[in-house]
Amino acid sequence: MSHTQLESMRSDYEGCSRCSCCKWIPHAQIMSWRYAKSCPSVDRYNFHAYSASGKLNMALSIIDKRSQLNDAVASVIYRCQLCGACQVSCQNYRDDIDHCDSFHVMRSTCVQEGFVLPEHLEIIESMKREDNTMGMPKAQRSDWAAGLDIPDINTQKVDVLFHAGCRYSYDEGLLDTVRKWATFLKKAGINIGIAGRDEACCGGRAYEIGYQGEMKKYADDMASRVKASGAHTLVTPCSDCYYTFKYLYPKNSLGLTVKVLHTTELTDGLLRQGIIRLKSSEPMTVTYHDPCHLGRRGESYKSGWSGDVKLMRPVQFKQTGREGIFDEPRNLIKAVGGVELREMERIREYSWCCGAGGGVLEAEPDFAVWTARDRIDEAMATGAEAIVTACPWCEHLFAEAIKEMGVTMKVLDVVDLLDMGLGGE
Amino acid sequence: MLPENVYKELEDILGAENVTQEPAILDSYAWQPALNLLKDAWVPRPEAVVLPQTTAEVQAIVQLCNRAGIKCKAFSTGWASYSACGSEGVIQIDLRRMNRIIEIDEKNMIAVIEPYVCGSQLQAECMKRGLNCHIIGAGPNCSPLASLTSGWGYGWTGLYTSYSNRNPLAVEWVLPNGELLQMGSLGSGCGWINGDGPGPSLRGVMRGWGGAQGGLGVFTKCAVKLYPWPGEEGAPKGMRGMMLDLDMETPKLHKLYYIYSPSYAMYAEFAHRIANSEIGYIHCKLTTGGFMSVLMPRAIKKIMKSKAIRAAAKALQHCTSIALACHSEREFVYQEEVLRKIVEETDSFIFDWSKLAPRLHDTLLWLFHRSIPPAMIFRVGGNFLTSFGANEMYDMCVLGCEAGEQLKRPYIDKGIFIEDTGDNTWGGIYEGSSGWGHIEECAMYDLRTSRNPEARFDYLDETVKVVQEKTLGFSLASVGGDSYKYLGPLMYNYHLWQSKIKSAFDPNYASDASFYIPPYEEVVKIMEQEDKGRMFGATRSES
Repeated sequence: MSHTQLESMRSDYEGCSRCSCCKWIPHAQIMSWRYAKSCPSVDRYNFHAYSASGKLNMALSIIDKRSQLNDAVASVIYRCQLCGACQVSCQNYRDDIDHCDSFHVMRSTCVQEGFVLPEHLEIIESMKREDNTMGMPKAQRSDWAAGLDIPDINTQKVDVLFHAGCRYSYDEGLLDTVRKWATFLKKAGINIGIAGRDEACCGGRAYEIGYQGEMKKYADDMASRVKASGAHTLVTPCSDCYYTFKYLYPKNSLGLTVKVLHTTELTDGLLRQGIIRLKSSEPMTVTYHDPCHLGRRGESYKSGWSGDVKLMRPVQFKQTGREGIFDEPRNLIKAVGGVELREMERIREYSWCCGAGGGVLEAEPDFAVWTARDRIDEAMATGAEAIVTACPWCEHLFAEAIKEMGVTMKVLDVVDLLDMGLGGE
Repeated sequence: MLPENVYKELEDILGAENVTQEPAILDSYAWQPALNLLKDAWVPRPEAVVLPQTTAEVQAIVQLCNRAGIKCKAFSTGWASYSACGSEGVIQIDLRRMNRIIEIDEKNMIAVIEPYVCGSQLQAECMKRGLNCHIIGAGPNCSPLASLTSGWGYGWTGLYTSYSNRNPLAVEWVLPNGELLQMGSLGSGCGWINGDGPGPSLRGVMRGWGGAQGGLGVFTKCAVKLYPWPGEEGAPKGMRGMMLDLDMETPKLHKLYYIYSPSYAMYAEFAHRIANSEIGYIHCKLTTGGFMSVLMPRAIKKIMKSKAIRAAAKALQHCTSIALACHSEREFVYQEEVLRKIVEETDSFIFDWSKLAPRLHDTLLWLFHRSIPPAMIFRVGGNFLTSFGANEMYDMCVLGCEAGEQLKRPYIDKGIFIEDTGDNTWGGIYEGSSGWGHIEECAMYDLRTSRNPEARFDYLDETVKVVQEKTLGFSLASVGGDSYKYLGPLMYNYHLWQSKIKSAFDPNYASDASFYIPPYEEVVKIMEQEDKGRMFGATRSES
C-alpha cells in the first residue's frame, strides 16, 4: 500500500539519530533521578517504539516496506498524549525533526486505512451529532452560564468572545471554574459575550486523533461566530482550544482574524495595566502545572517557510515551545498575596504531561491516570497544598488521580486564586 | 520468528507485555544510523525484544537462549549501532526497566547503578551529596554502566573524573552461559568497593581496551567510582532557559577559559603542563571550525568561503577549553596563577569567558560539566561519525589531529562531509601526570542527502591506514566488525586472546558478538583462510 502522507515526512523520520534524548527532559535541566523522564508513553510501555524516536523509526519501516501498519502499530501510535515534550527535548539539540506534525500524519494515516479506536469514533460521532466531544446534548451547551447575565453574541455585539470549550461546558466538576472566569472578566470591565447554545467544539481533538478533515467545518463555524460577534478578541479558558486556535488553525490555513488569548494572558495584561488589583488571601503554598497545550504547544504556528530540508530552515520557523504561555499564569499566582509558588522539577517547556491529551483520556483511561499520578507525586514532593493549573482537561484528570491515590491535595484553577485575591472563598 | 515454545517461555519469564515480535516494533530497534560502521542505517532486525526488570530475569533469558541455540544482545540506552543486533536471529534485551540507582556511598565515593540510569540522572543525584561522576562525550543520555563495562569514552571533565574504562568497580555480570558472576570485592562478600578484589579480578577480560560491545553477556549492576564536586551541593540556583539561553548561577570558584596555542606542538605542550601541574577540572580540545558549524549550521558554508575567515579559523584551531573548579578561594588563586603561567610559557593566549561574556560563560560551563554540547552536532547535518580516537599517550592523540585534518579536507571539498574546517577533533588529557588522553576526529554529514555511504567508508578506511602507518594506536573506526583480521597481527595478536576469552566464557556462542569477536576456533579458521601477506596493511573494504 502506498503511504503518501507518511512519505511526506520521510525526511523527519530519517533524521532520527536514535540518541534517545526525546525520552528525557533536556539534560541541562535534570535535577534528580526521579523526575528526569519526559515521555509518558515510553515510560509506561517501555518498548522503544513508544518513544518519539521509535514512532519515527516505525513510520520509516512502513514506508520502506519493511513492515506494515496494523492494529498493534496503531495502538502504539495512539498511546501518546501528543504532549510535545519529546519535540522540546529533541529540538534542544537539533532543528530538523517536527515530532508532533509527524505523529499527526501517522494518526491520519491510521484513520485513512481503517485502524481506528472505538472510543475515538464515539468522539467523532458526538461531534457530528452534538457539536461536542463529550457525548452531551448540544441544547445544554450554555447551561453553565445560567444566571450570569452574559451577553449572547447572537443578539448583541461584544468586544471579546468568550469560548468555554467542550469540557468546561459540560463537566459538572468544572462548571464552577468556568463561571468564575466569566464573572471575573465581567467584573474587570471586559465586554464579553458567549455564543450560547451555538458554541461548538473547536475541532482540535478530532484533528489530534487523526480525523483531520473534520476540523475544517468547526474552524469555519468558529470564524463565522467570531465575525458575527463583532469581537476583536477571542478568549478561552481551555488550553486545548487555545492550542487549536493558535497552532492547528493557522497551520491548516484556517486562521482566525482576531486576536486569540487564553484567559490567563488577558488577565495578566489587566493586572499589569493596573486594571485589576489583587489582595492578600489566606496563606497557601501551591505549585503550578504547565498545561502542554498552553505551554510548549501553545506557541503560535510559525508560518512562512516551506521545504523538505529542515536542516536549512531558519530557526525562527522552528516550533521550539519556548514562546508558549508560561509566565502569565505564574504572574497571576504570585500576585495573590499570601500565596507561595513552589516550582516542581519539570516545568515550563519540559513539563510532564497530565495524561489527558491526544485522545488518551477517552481510549486509555488507565494510562491517562497513570500519567497524572506521576505529576501529582511530583507536585506533592514540593510540599504544596494545591496544584494549580489552567486547563480543564488537566484539572479533571488530576482530580481523578488524587481520588485514586487517596492523597490530600487540592486541584485549583488560576481563577480560583484570583477569586481568593478578590476576596472570594 | 522465534519458535513458538521459546516465545511462550519468554512470556512466562517476563509477562506477555514485556515481550514482542511485532515487525514494526522490532524495526524501531533496527534503525541505528549513529556511529554506524555498517553500510546501512537499518541493522539486522531482532527476532524479538524483551524487557527484563531483574537480574534473575536476565539470567533466565540468557539460559533459555543457551538451551534453544538462539543468540541474545543486551543494550542499556541503546545509542549507536553497536548496541543493536549485528546479525539475524538475535533476541534484543532492552534493559530500560533496570533503571535504579541502588545506592550512593558518600563515604567511599561510589555509586551502584543499573543499566538504564543515564549520565545526567547519576550526576544530579551525586551533586546532591557533594559528589560528581564522569560523563562520556557521547552525552548524558548514555548509560554510565554501558560505557564502563562495555564501551569506551572520554568526557569533558576527564581531567578530573578520568576515563570510562578507569571508573568501574565491582560488577554484577550475567555471563553468556547464564551464570552470575560477581566481579571484584562483590564476589567475596565485601561489597562494591573494588573491581579487582578481594575476589575475581576480571576487568581486563570484561572490557579490555574498548569493551565487548554487548558481545560477552549482560552487565546488570555496576559500581562507579565517584569524585568530589567542588561546588555547592545540589542543583545550580535560579536556572532558566534551555540550552545556549541558559541563565543560572555558577559556583563562584568555577571558571571557564579558552586557550589558543600557536601550533599543535604547543597545544600538546600546554596539555602536558596542565596535567603535570595537577590543576583543572575540564581539559578538552575545542575545534573552532566545528564550534562555528554547530552555532551557525546554515551560514557556515558561506562564511567559510571567505579566505580571511578561513585563515582566522585556522589560526585559532589549536584551542583548549579549560575550566577550574576549586574548593577554596586560595586554591582558586593558586590554580589560576599556574594556568596563566603555563599559558605564558607556551606562547598561548587566554580568553577569559567570565570577563568577556559572563552569561555565556555560566551556560557553557554547565553544559560542559554535563557533557551536553556533543548532541548539538546533530544541528549541522543530523548525523556524524568518528575516527582516530585512540585512548593513548596524548602526543599521539595530537598527531592524530593533524593527520585527521589533512585526510578529511578533500572529503569536505567533495561535499561528502559538512564544512568544519577539517579540524573537528575533540578530547583531552586525563589522570593528571599520566600523559594519557583521548582525541577523536568527528565528521558531520546528512544521511538523507547522501544515502550512498561508500565515500564515508573510504574516509574511514583511510583513517585506519594512517593510524597503522603512523602507529597512532587503535582507531575508533576499527571497533567491531572484522577489523581484527588486519589489526590483530599488527597488535600482539589481540584477536586471538579476545577470541579465547569469548570461547571460554560463551561455549554456546549465545552472546551476539558481531561487534566483538567470534569464538577462537572460528577466528583461527578465518585467519587461515586469509592471505596473511595481503592482509598486512589491508583495510576494512579490502579484507
